[in-house]
Amino acid sequence: MQSDLDKYNVTVVALSKDGLEVAARHKIRDGLRLTLLSDPELEVIRQYGVEHHKAVEFSKGSFMLFGIPLALVPSFKTMAIPTSLLIDEKGVIRWIDQADDYRVRSNEDRVLEAVKSAFG
Amino acid sequence: MNTAIIGMSAASFVIVMGTWGVYLASIPRGKVPVRPFGSVIMQCIGTGLAVLAIVWSYQGNETSGAAVIVPAALALMMALTFLWLLSQRKTPIGDLKVKVGDNLLSFKTTTSEGVGFHTDELMGKRTLLKIFRGSW
Repeated sequence: MQSDLDKYNVTVVALSKDGLEVAARHKIRDGLRLTLLSDPELEVIRQYGVEHHKAVEFSKGSFMLFGIPLALVPSFKTMAIPTSLLIDEKGVIRWIDQADDYRVRSNEDRVLEAVKSAFG
Repeated sequence: MNTAIIGMSAASFVIVMGTWGVYLASIPRGKVPVRPFGSVIMQCIGTGLAVLAIVWSYQGNETSGAAVIVPAALALMMALTFLWLLSQRKTPIGDLKVKVGDNLLSFKTTTSEGVGFHTDELMGKRTLLKIFRGSW
């Protein structure tokens, strides 16, 4: 997908509640090329109104199975509602996509359609 | 040993774990089903078989022991975990502070490399800002 975004000069910046160490490990583990931002105090997440109280998280006892990161122990934590914002060169928001089901994220087709619509 | 009950227990385990496997395989492909009816039905079938296997194992005159209890109990635990996780899937949307046409809300934070970041850096660039739950 990155190559498709490159055609439209769109850079990806991702932000989560992960602390620096976790974010750095995530970037290396998944070979991410994007800029990964750390918001452990949830300041930006609250600023944008995308806070999800008591979201289920699996972070303890994590392991990899067939390339899929898994974990054994669920817990409740406050984290972000998955949200995508497409922003133009002037800092204007051109598209927003927010998941009412945390399992279902912005898929590639929807993102590319929005990019083409905004910048095509 | 009652082979029918052992078979039922084994079937419950295969159905539940197979459904888990199919579902997990859909995640990295970005093909997670929006309405996972098939997975729910299969987990319910697995749960039913596991419960029946355990109940019949205890009611019967013959004991089937671990060959029934272990797979059925694992199937039951994994199926209920799956169904419970699905019940937690909804997010409380509706409090978003921006809308299409608004300016990006200015913020500063830190990159995963520990370098300071300010949204001013995005000026003059087309950006896809993805706010996500975090790594797992």
